[in-house]
Amino acid sequence: MSAGSLTSFSALHRLNAVVSFLVIAAAWQLVAISGVVPAKYFPDIPAIASAFWSMLASGELPGAELRTLTRALTGLAGASILGIGLAVLSDLSPVFRRGFAPVAALVQPIPPAALVPMAVFMLGLGPRLYAFIIILVTVWPPYFNGVAALAGVPGEQIRSGQMMALGRWQMLWQIKLPAALPEIFAGIRYASTISLIAVVVAEMLAGHDGLGFLLIRKAFAIRIPEVYALMFVCALNGILMNGIIGLLRWQLTGWHMRMTEQPA
Amino acid sequence: MRAALGKDMASGLIVPVAILLAWQALAWRAGTPLFPGPWQVSLSIWKLWPAITGQIGYTLMRAFAGFLVAAVLMIPLGILLGRLKTVGRIVEPMMDMLATLPPPAVVPIVMLFAGTGDIAKIVIIAYAAAVPLIMNTYEASKSLHLMANQVARSLRLTRLETMLHIDLPASLPMIATGLRLAIASALLVSVTSEMLLATNGIGVFIQRQQENFQIAGGLAAIAFISVIGLIINNLVFQLERRWLFWHYRSSESHSDG
Repeated sequence: MSAGSLTSFSALHRLNAVVSFLVIAAAWQLVAISGVVPAKYFPDIPAIASAFWSMLASGELPGAELRTLTRALTGLAGASILGIGLAVLSDLSPVFRRGFAPVAALVQPIPPAALVPMAVFMLGLGPRLYAFIIILVTVWPPYFNGVAALAGVPGEQIRSGQMMALGRWQMLWQIKLPAALPEIFAGIRYASTISLIAVVVAEMLAGHDGLGFLLIRKAFAIRIPEVYALMFVCALNGILMNGIIGLLRWQLTGWHMRMTEQPA
Repeated sequence: MRAALGKDMASGLIVPVAILLAWQALAWRAGTPLFPGPWQVSLSIWKLWPAITGQIGYTLMRAFAGFLVAAVLMIPLGILLGRLKTVGRIVEPMMDMLATLPPPAVVPIVMLFAGTGDIAKIVIIAYAAAVPLIMNTYEASKSLHLMANQVARSLRLTRLETMLHIDLPASLPMIATGLRLAIASALLVSVTSEMLLATNGIGVFIQRQQENFQIAGGLAAIAFISVIGLIINNLVFQLERRWLFWHYRSSESHSDG
């Protein structure tokens, strides 16, 4: 696929997104005006927009958004580094791999919500709580993908490395990790969604600031347009996060994407 | 051979045992019931398991109901959207956007319409399970298997026969992935929904333990969730391998070649 068709592809995609957004907005507005659902529970678009604007103007929303995003991003970065580290360790040591696999299988299904009340007592309400919750739930996709990808590096590549008499670390750094990076990034991308969910849950259950806390507070104050506006912000955050990861992925594994000719 | 296997098992135990010992050491150092070690947690498991299994029953029932609702609605919808190109293209960005909306964020709105009872929780679980289901079914039915469809044409299959014998099996592996993800997220969100809309279930049990400062009891309940999650995830994976064995067989032989 040439560069020209690539840009036209993304332009088409963007146009689709705009059309889709307009269709949803129109449908929403129609339902709100028709009065099928009580207006109190289903405000129209101008009401939601003005709620959004007033939260923006009061500084409530930017502050909460900044906190939530910072938590999600730092947590994700920590979890990715830890996950890749654990995967590398598993690749280097079979003993560690065999021992850690059951631990991972057991910890992975634990919902972040269940951890919050326990962790509050053990770690307090500060940044340590968020770091612990996010890392514990987001470390798995990069780890699992990393283990699979490192084990799946093609034999020819390993043998060429051996032919060049690379040491263990050189082999890892120059051959195995670059080969595994695309798959690891797929894991990080998945982890980015989970990290956002984990942050919002933790803030809803134990927080005193952030988007999740704001959402709960507005809900209990029955400020419905504000609640919808906040949900919209949560969805936007997901898109933002995907964009950041996509950019990073392009920087680090662009060669792979260009070779396999996959647009983003 | 058997001796080697036993040695593998023994060396595999090193890491888990080390983690448990480190945790126990931290707990001893903290010296407070608010930071229990594995020993206190296993005592709590022994003491509390009848209560925990009772509460987990409610949780699993709701998780299953929510998952079922999502599967029944979203798989046909995903296939339909994948087939109707124009509609699908308009709806796709909307699905992408919904996919990034965390399930707990819909809780306040669901509360407005459905209160805090079983229905509300099932709706939240269904929403969480719906996202991976519709995304995967849509993707699977959108991308046609070109070669297989040419074969179908040369065999002069009718449109319905093609859909039934070619397109459906071709999209099954991806739909199965969607189902697996949906089951996992239904389990996760069922606990979350209970903690936010408390009535009964394991999530509420954990909160009660916390309110009474019984951290070990709460961790015991978490241990149950994790084991049940592990069993269910494994079961789903085994079923997938059994029913879609042809897919795994062919993809394995591909990767060998």
